[in-house]
Amino acid sequence: MTSRERVRLALEHREPDCVPLDLGATTVTGMHVDTVYRLRQALDLDAPGTPVKILDPFQMLGEVKPDLLNALAIDTALVCGTGTAFGFPLEGWKEWRTFAGTPALVPAGFNTQPEPNGDLLLHPQGDRSAPASGRMPQGGVYFDAIVRQDPFKEEELRVEDNVEEFSVFSDGEIEHYRRRAEELYTQTDKALVLNLGALSLGNIARIPGPGLKRPRGIRDVEEWYVSLSARREHIYKIFERQTEINMANLEKIYAAVGNRVAVAYLTGTDFGAQNGPFVSPTTYRNLFFPFHKQVNDWVHRHTTWKTFIHSCGSVWALLEDFVAAGFDILNPVQCSAARMNPFDLKGKYGGRITFWGGGIDTQSTLPFGSPQEVREEVRERIRAFAPGGGFVFNAAHNVQALVPVENVLAMYRAAREYGAYPLRMDRAPSLTAVGTKH
Amino acid sequence: MTPFEELQQAIIDGKAFVSKALTERMLKDGVRPGEFFPKAIIPAMDEVGRRMRECEFFIPEVLIAARAARASSDILRPLLVGAEAMSSAGTVVCCTVKGDLHDIGKNIVAMMLESAGFKIVDLGVDVNAEKIVNAVREHQANLVALSALLTTTMVNMKSVVEALTAAGLRDNVKIMVGGAPVTDAWAHSIGADGYGKDAPSAVELARQLATA
Repeated sequence: MTSRERVRLALEHREPDCVPLDLGATTVTGMHVDTVYRLRQALDLDAPGTPVKILDPFQMLGEVKPDLLNALAIDTALVCGTGTAFGFPLEGWKEWRTFAGTPALVPAGFNTQPEPNGDLLLHPQGDRSAPASGRMPQGGVYFDAIVRQDPFKEEELRVEDNVEEFSVFSDGEIEHYRRRAEELYTQTDKALVLNLGALSLGNIARIPGPGLKRPRGIRDVEEWYVSLSARREHIYKIFERQTEINMANLEKIYAAVGNRVAVAYLTGTDFGAQNGPFVSPTTYRNLFFPFHKQVNDWVHRHTTWKTFIHSCGSVWALLEDFVAAGFDILNPVQCSAARMNPFDLKGKYGGRITFWGGGIDTQSTLPFGSPQEVREEVRERIRAFAPGGGFVFNAAHNVQALVPVENVLAMYRAAREYGAYPLRMDRAPSLTAVGTKH
Repeated sequence: MTPFEELQQAIIDGKAFVSKALTERMLKDGVRPGEFFPKAIIPAMDEVGRRMRECEFFIPEVLIAARAARASSDILRPLLVGAEAMSSAGTVVCCTVKGDLHDIGKNIVAMMLESAGFKIVDLGVDVNAEKIVNAVREHQANLVALSALLTTTMVNMKSVVEALTAAGLRDNVKIMVGGAPVTDAWAHSIGADGYGKDAPSAVELARQLATA
């Protein structure tokens, strides 16, 4: 069975020959560059010192190349654009080292500036004369956006100011998507995942406008959350305008890549915190749902793509709405958050949504557990999510820096071993799933 | 509705302009500054905490309410003198630990602790152990509240506990920790005194620890 076939069956809620595996097909199912490097060395894929490309300079995700995909028997592949959160393109590669000493390649626009305390600053569009928009603390592993919020008067708020980072893709960008999809479709048997996370409405990581030289509008994180309740109409208008642009982009991209793509990652906005949703179900329904539904409806009417929503945290209270909005796939399935028990999720929503992720807890077991604990948790999660298909295996979010390579290898080996259909679980299900909390 | 009840309602509803105006009017009518906290601000924010815990309030609603509470307390703090000023529930040094820049959770906890009558010394984000030790000493704090969002930075909470011990201050302060990857077991393992799973629990914990 080809990888593409395996993923297709799983997404149709049927059992393929084994649970499909993902690594790096999205910017939320990837791996930190430090870990990619150590993994490649452990698997003997590179000579020592061979640098790894950083494809997402915000989260510092390393490139997962075809040789690594094959070494781990991964079934998916990434189709992404040329842009980055900091507004410079993924081109003109140059050498750089992370704080951990990992040799890396970064785009030409990745121009850091050290602070006296050892922090690193990054500038929008690579322009050091513009106020810095990203900061990596000394010894840190990725950048956070620097909030640059000018004081504003209520009556001066303009919808356009919060739409500046949304634009209709250039012909060159569309051609890049087309070429990348065609290459991967004809040269590999992987299922292709189209990454359109940059189109997310209200993604808090992007609200500060890290790619803009002088962001205007509501750019402070706290002020944004306040606005979801206090300036509802204004936010609605922002989303309306952003969605108009997104719809134009979807049409153009579909015309270029067609149904070579299996999955479209449409939104990465986090709606869940550790103990419950960030926003009320009412806020989701009033502000986000109409636009999510509009986009999903278009995709389902015109394409064979399955749509993918990423939201960390506890989203049990919002799942009914996600399903009603038309999403086919939920990620990252953070079972360590409240009310995210894998058996409950599968029991109530298993027939209606595919779980993509949730394979292991990235807050505890993967970074801090033993390889044996990793294997046990993977088995337990497969027991919960895999029956009947509707499950694509991935850790519950990007594999972070400082994660032991042995644990990553144990995770993927266990996933292949226990994920073979028909499922043969040699142990009675335990009463409580490993690593869950209520 | 009594004026105190009106003020409570304005805070719960997140109406900062109303809470500010009410506070000013009540002061003019002769209400003593020290009465506002026990009779309006603390009960209002307790109700906000209850609603948050019961999933009636979410981050936006809590932030708006906390701003309304602050609109009132900002007027009151400079007016609190003598015994009233001293009657604070305790002094909390709070921050996000070294290497971590995420502060929205810490800010919400700080706002809620402040509304619960604690004096807050907020050191901000990416704060090393030495700075925390100095602040505890300088402000004679009896509580330290540490936040971390990342698995890669939560380990730095442990160095803070160790630094406070090394500085001979460990017996003077209680240490509470919180943040997405943090758990009760983690708090115990590093020798902290407690774990707050969300902002309302952090307030409850701070009250317990301050009186323990």
